[in-house]
Amino acid sequence: MFGRNRAAAAAQAPGEALRLEDVRKVYGAEGNRVVALDGVSLSLPAGSFTAVMGPSGSGKSTLLQCAAGLDRPTAGRVFVDGAELSGGGEAALTRFRRQRIGFVFQQFNLLPTLDVLQNAVLPLKLAGRRVDRSRARAVLERVGLGDRLHHLPAELSGGQQQRVAIARALITRPRVVFADEPTGALDTRSARDVLELLRESVREYGQTVVMVTHDPVAASFAGSVLYLADGRIVGHQAAPTAEAVAERMTRLADEVERQRATAGV
Amino acid sequence: MLGLALRSLRKRASAFAASFLAMLLGATMVMGFASMLDTAEGSGATGAARETLTTMATVVGGWGLLLVVFAVASTLTLSVRQRAAEMALLKSAGATPGQLARMIVGEAAGLALVAALAAIAPAIAAGRALLGLLHDTGQVPAEVGYHFGPAALSIGIGVTLVSAVAAALIAARRAVRGRAAESMAAAAADDARLSKKRIVFAALFLLAAASEAIVTVTVMDGSSDAMATSGQADIFAGIGLALLAPAIVRRAAALAAGPLRALGGAAGDLAAATMRRRTGALASAVTPVVLFVGTAVGTLYLQATENAAMDAAGLAKTPEDKSIETLNFVVIGMVVLFTAIMLVNTLIAATAHRGREFGQTRLAGATPRQVLTAVALESAVLTVTGVVLGTVASVFTIVPFGLARRDSAVPDGDVRTYAAVVALAAVLTGLTAFGATRRTIRVPAVEAALR
Repeated sequence: MFGRNRAAAAAQAPGEALRLEDVRKVYGAEGNRVVALDGVSLSLPAGSFTAVMGPSGSGKSTLLQCAAGLDRPTAGRVFVDGAELSGGGEAALTRFRRQRIGFVFQQFNLLPTLDVLQNAVLPLKLAGRRVDRSRARAVLERVGLGDRLHHLPAELSGGQQQRVAIARALITRPRVVFADEPTGALDTRSARDVLELLRESVREYGQTVVMVTHDPVAASFAGSVLYLADGRIVGHQAAPTAEAVAERMTRLADEVERQRATAGV
Repeated sequence: MLGLALRSLRKRASAFAASFLAMLLGATMVMGFASMLDTAEGSGATGAARETLTTMATVVGGWGLLLVVFAVASTLTLSVRQRAAEMALLKSAGATPGQLARMIVGEAAGLALVAALAAIAPAIAAGRALLGLLHDTGQVPAEVGYHFGPAALSIGIGVTLVSAVAAALIAARRAVRGRAAESMAAAAADDARLSKKRIVFAALFLLAAASEAIVTVTVMDGSSDAMATSGQADIFAGIGLALLAPAIVRRAAALAAGPLRALGGAAGDLAAATMRRRTGALASAVTPVVLFVGTAVGTLYLQATENAAMDAAGLAKTPEDKSIETLNFVVIGMVVLFTAIMLVNTLIAATAHRGREFGQTRLAGATPRQVLTAVALESAVLTVTGVVLGTVASVFTIVPFGLARRDSAVPDGDVRTYAAVVALAAVLTGLTAFGATRRTIRVPAVEAALR
């Protein structure tokens, strides 16, 4: 592929799906700057399910947007499946994303004018790729929407809409699926269904998933948790349980509070 | 609720820009023509001059009025429909349908009052220009001076207010119907169905157009007065067809879907699927194209046929004929300007409203170019639909008049006139949609989608 950086591909660890090298993101003009990401480096293996947690304002959404090619970092490098996210306009960025990345958002972001099946195959169509309808049907069947292919999003519940969004993210077989608070707008039961689906896509199909969340229960579905505070990675936890995550988050909030107080912010 | 209406007006000035402009332009037109009554009264004009001035004020002003009511109703309906989610939110927060209706009507009345007052200065200028034209063509003696007074003010402000409130009532009725949860869901999909009332009004307008056409051919046969009856037929037919636009647009979208999918690639596919669900908004955009093409083509060929008839009879034009010709062009200029502004505003408002949709499409993998292509294809379908309907409307004027004056259904005049009108409609639609979309997609996709 043209966009692939050969040197980086050579340096890449085998089976690495996502790598960030010293990524910084600074908002605002001189004198009024906000550092959202302060030198984040990480490497996620293919087939991993990672939750990114942190208090609000810790930079977790910025991290996701920079890693997913929705925003450009101020400094540092981002590799998705060995290909570097580099310069180029909005169109180049779009092509980079649609070849490698799937998205699931809190607000579903389904097009209201398209029905379930049309929404699910839209990324394939836009990328000019062959639309395998039977596979699309199978994936929608798998997320439990086989009988609602021609419903409009407005005719579905929140949980159903989110499952369409997950199907849409999976149908393109992306290298990485990024999920931004995917259960934020759902009731407990629908949230559990959605999280099970994400976990299953990792276990059964070797999908790589990165999920930003503030919910310890959601994070407990992931294989590991990264903790973010003030734009830096401050911890890592494997095989998390909801209790352990909740406890860690409470401590983290206290710590940040203390640090901010001593820094005189 | 009035407080809420005022706050909503202040905070969302841009959402009301289309309605405001339609009202301002309408008030200017109505007031400018109505000032001919003041001029007749104030200058003590008598005889033919007085009659000319009064005719000017009533006939031409009445023509404009029809357009104003229609334009204000269509822009207001659009702006209310765009705020369907906000209305649903207010409903779920405990607003009764009556309160919502009062809010919408209050907004419209406030807007109309400001527009009417702001229209006074341009109306005086327009009135002066109109009188100047009448002086130049010798229809009104030069000693008749311009006056602006109670007739212009009361008719201008009254007509603007009444048409705005009437339009708001129509828009409000639609918005406040249904339960809160339903309207939340309905806000997502927008496929306007034809109400019975709409069909009845459409039939009435088309009947009016048909009856004028028949009167032209039968009663007015051979006389130059045929112009008086056939001149309005195109606008009646245009409004009738525009009222049916939601149903027609749905057919057109279905017809266009095949070619779009086959030739337009992914963008064509997207355009075809989107248009099927956005017939309400598309119909609002088709309306000005229909009126624009219908009246422009109708009147221009009407005049060409009249000129040819005069030439054939070997008659030289009297000053009165000349002034009628000038008047025809004034009316055309007015209508063209009015519908053009209506078209541009409708498209800009409708496109700005699609920011979130464009953001979502881009997150699903569309490049900015694909979004622009999809919109361009939609505008092409819209233009073709509008031009076809407009041409049909103009036939109501051209053919009967041709039969009455020249015993020929084929109009005189240059085919290039038609091409120019169509090109203008296409350029206006295309450029506006393109510009508005490009501005909308300049916002980063995530921001637009998560707004």
